[in-house]
Amino acid sequence: DHHERKRKKESREVHERSHKARKMIGLKAKLYHKQRHAEKIQMKKTIKMHEQRKSKQKDDDKTPEGAVPAYLLDREGQSRAKVLSNMIKQKRKEKAGKWEVPLPKVRAQGETEVLKVIRTGKRQKKAWKRMVTKVCFVGDGFTRKPPKYERFIRPMGLRFKKAHVTHPELKATFCLPILGVKKNPSSSLYTTLGVITKGTVIEVNVSELGLVTQGGKVIWGKYAQVTNNPENDGCINAVLLV
Amino acid sequence: MALYNFKKIMVVPTAKDFIDLTLSKTQRKTPTVIHKHYQIHRIRHFYMRKIKFTQQNYHDRLSQILTDFPKLDDIHPFYADLMNVLYDKDHYKLALGQINIAKNLIDNVAKDYVRLMKYGDSLYRCKQLKRAALGRMCTILKRQKQSLEYLEQVRQHLSRLPTIDPNTRTLLLCGYPNVGKSSFINKVTRADVEVQPYAFTTKSLFVGHMDYRYLRWQVVDTPGILDHPLEERNTIEMQAITALAHLRAAVLYVMDVSEQCGHTLSQQLELFNNIRPLFANKPLIVMANKCDVRKISELSEENQKVFTDLTAEGILVIETSSLTEEGVMQVKAEACDRLLAHRVDTKMKTKKVHEVLNRLHLAVPTKRDQRERPPFIPEGALLRRKAMETNAPKRKLERDLEVELGDDYTLDLQKYWELMNPEEKQDKIPEIWEGHNIADYIDPEIMKRLEDLEQEEELRAKAGEYDSEEESEDEEMKEIRQLASQIREKRKLKILSSKEKDTQGSRMPRTAKKVERATLEKEMADLGLDMTDKDDSHYARRSRSLVRKRKREVSAPPTSRTRSQSASRPPRDQSGVRDAKVVPACIIHYVYILQGDHMKANIRKLV
Repeated sequence: DHHERKRKKESREVHERSHKARKMIGLKAKLYHKQRHAEKIQMKKTIKMHEQRKSKQKDDDKTPEGAVPAYLLDREGQSRAKVLSNMIKQKRKEKAGKWEVPLPKVRAQGETEVLKVIRTGKRQKKAWKRMVTKVCFVGDGFTRKPPKYERFIRPMGLRFKKAHVTHPELKATFCLPILGVKKNPSSSLYTTLGVITKGTVIEVNVSELGLVTQGGKVIWGKYAQVTNNPENDGCINAVLLV
Repeated sequence: MALYNFKKIMVVPTAKDFIDLTLSKTQRKTPTVIHKHYQIHRIRHFYMRKIKFTQQNYHDRLSQILTDFPKLDDIHPFYADLMNVLYDKDHYKLALGQINIAKNLIDNVAKDYVRLMKYGDSLYRCKQLKRAALGRMCTILKRQKQSLEYLEQVRQHLSRLPTIDPNTRTLLLCGYPNVGKSSFINKVTRADVEVQPYAFTTKSLFVGHMDYRYLRWQVVDTPGILDHPLEERNTIEMQAITALAHLRAAVLYVMDVSEQCGHTLSQQLELFNNIRPLFANKPLIVMANKCDVRKISELSEENQKVFTDLTAEGILVIETSSLTEEGVMQVKAEACDRLLAHRVDTKMKTKKVHEVLNRLHLAVPTKRDQRERPPFIPEGALLRRKAMETNAPKRKLERDLEVELGDDYTLDLQKYWELMNPEEKQDKIPEIWEGHNIADYIDPEIMKRLEDLEQEEELRAKAGEYDSEEESEDEEMKEIRQLASQIREKRKLKILSSKEKDTQGSRMPRTAKKVERATLEKEMADLGLDMTDKDDSHYARRSRSLVRKRKREVSAPPTSRTRSQSASRPPRDQSGVRDAKVVPACIIHYVYILQGDHMKANIRKLV
C-alpha cells in the first residue's frame, strides 16, 4: 500500500504546512517565512511565464545592431568623432598616471586603531612597543628583530599569505599567494609594516592564471585591491586590477 | 572488524536540514546574551564557544555517518559484491570520501577562526569572526548536498535488503525467468513472494526459512537470469549472479519442462552450461519443474536426451511440480542431505577438525565371552513398528473426533466406564432417591468412617488443640475492649430508641441542629470525662463580638470562632482523637499550649 500511503501523505502535507506557518513563532518562524516568501516569488514567476507563452507580445529586439531610424541617417560623422575624442581622453589619463581602482575612497585608519600599545618594563611603565591589530603580510625571508628591540609586533596569528582574488571580467575567484603590500592608503608606515586593511593595494602571484604579454612573456605578478575588512572576516578578498 | 547492522544506520539528513539543525542547535544550546561592556576575554570566550560548538556538532554527525555505513572491505564479500551491484562501489566510496574531506575542512576552519578570535579586541570584531566561521562551515556542507542525498538513498535501500546469513545452510534457486522458482519457495517456506505470469516478477533476492532435521535452512530466491555474457547483464541479473558466486549453498537449477516460460529446453541447457563454472564446489540438483503440464517421458527424443545427459554426468534430476507438490519434498530432502554432507566434508578437510577429533574417542566394551548379545526390542514395539509401516488404522483419537464433529463435539468421559451392563453407560445418575441422598450410599463403610472421625475430633478437643490462646493483654487493650463493648451496647440502645421514636417528616441534618450545652456535658460525664469548670471552653463561649481582647503573653492562636462552628468542631488538639479516654500517655507531646491553663489541667487529669 505504498502508493496509497504516499498519495495520502502528500495531500496531508498541504494542511500541515499551513498549520505550521500559522503556529510557528520566534527565529524559526522568521527564517521559515523568508524562505517561503522566496518560494512563492518563484512560483509566481513560473506561473507568469506559463501565461506569457499563451499571449503574444511585442518583441523589442527585432532591430539589428547599428540600425538607425530614417531621420538620423546623415549623422554618422558625429559618432565617429565621439569615439576619437574618447580615445584622446583616455591617453591623457594614462599619461597622468591616475590609477583607476575599484575603491577610490577608503576610511583612514588611525594609529590607535591599528596599533595597540604594549606596556613593558619591570613596572609596566614603558610604552614604546606596539602590536599590530590588523592583518598583515610579512615576506618569506622575514626574521624578527630581537624581541627586546622590536618596536612593532606583528603576531603570527594575523599573518596571511594568501588572498582570494577575483578577476573582474571573468568573475572567477582564485586563491593566490601574496607577493607584497604595494600601498596602504592610510599611512606609509603601514605600508612598510605590511598591514593590510580595506583598500590596500597588494601584489599577487598570478602565474596560475596563465596570462601572457603581447611580447610573449609570462605575467606572474599583478596588483589587486583589498575589498573587505580582513580582520573581521579572517580572509583577504581582493579584486584584480586589470 | 566492526559489526555492521544495516538496519541501524542513522538517518542521513539533507544538506539544508543538516545546516538548519546545527545552527538552531547552536543558537539554543549556547548562551545568547552578551554586551559590549563585558570584559574582552569574556566576549572572546563567548564567541569561541559558539564556533567550537558548531564544529563539534558537525564533526560528530559526520563521523557517525562515516562509521555507520559499512566499509566495503570489512563486510562479507557477498554483501560487498551485492552493494557494488546495487550502488556502484566507486560512487559509494567517493561519497564517503567527500564526507570525510568535509569533516576535516570544517575542523580546520574552526581551528583557524578560534586562533584569530584571540586577537579580537571588540565585540563587533569577534562577532564578525564568528559569523564568518559559521558561514564557512555551512558552505562546506552545502557543497556536500549530492553526496548526502546519495547516501540517504543507499541507507534506505540497505535497510530493506533481506538478511541473508552467508555462513549457514542455504539453498539457492536459479534459472530462467518464469520457470517457477518463486512458487517453489512459497511452497517450501513461509515466504510470500509474488508470482506473476510476466518475466522478472522477482526483482531482487528474497529469503525464506524452513526447517529440516531440526535445523534452520535458508532458501534464497533469485531473479531470473537470461543468457548473455557477464558484461551485458543488468543490475537485477547481477544480483542473482552475485548470490551464486558468493554463497556456499546447494544450488537448485530450475528448468521448465513445459517451456511455458518462453524459452526452449535447449536455451535453458545453454544457460546451464554457461553458468556451470559458478556451480563449482556446490551440490547441484536440477529440478524439472512444471511436470504436471508435461512430463519428461512425454518430451521429444532430443529433449529427453538433454535430461539423460545430465543424469549421465552425475547430476541428480528430479521432476517436480509446484502446483501439485509432487517431488517438492523429495527435492528438499535431497538438497539438504547433500548440502549437509558437503559441509561436513569441507569441515573435515580443514585443520580445525583434527583438534576436535583428537579429543574424541569412541569406547567399545571389550568382549567378555563369545556369546552374541543383540539389542533387545520388545514384542510390542516390533508390532507397532509393523503397524506403522503398513499404515494400519490407529485407535481413533479424541482429537480426530473433535475435528470431525466440529461444533457438536462434547467431551463424554462416561463412555470409558466399565459397567456390568454396558447399555447403561450413558444413563443419568440421580442425586436423591426416595428421600435418601445417594451420595451417602456410595461408600458402604461410610457410617464407620463417620464414627472414626468423630472420635478423632474428641481426642483433639481433649488435647486442647482448639483452645484459643489467652494472649497477655495489656491494660490499654483491656480498656479498649471494655470500651468497645460499651459502645456496642449503647449503639443498640440508641437504635432501639430511634426505632420507637416516630419520624416527623424531614429531619434537620445534625450539623444544623443545636446541641444544648447541658446535654453535651451530661453525655460526656456519662462517658467519664470531667466536665466541671467548662465555662471557658469553646462551646460555652459567646460569639465573636463579646470575646475578651487577647493578651499578648498568651501566644496562642485565636480560638474565637462563632458558636455554630465551634459546637461541632473539637479543639485542634483533640480533633484527631475519637474518645478522650483512649488517649494514651504518649500523645501528650502533641498537645499545644492552648487557651489558658484549663485545658492543660483537664488533660493532666485524663491521664
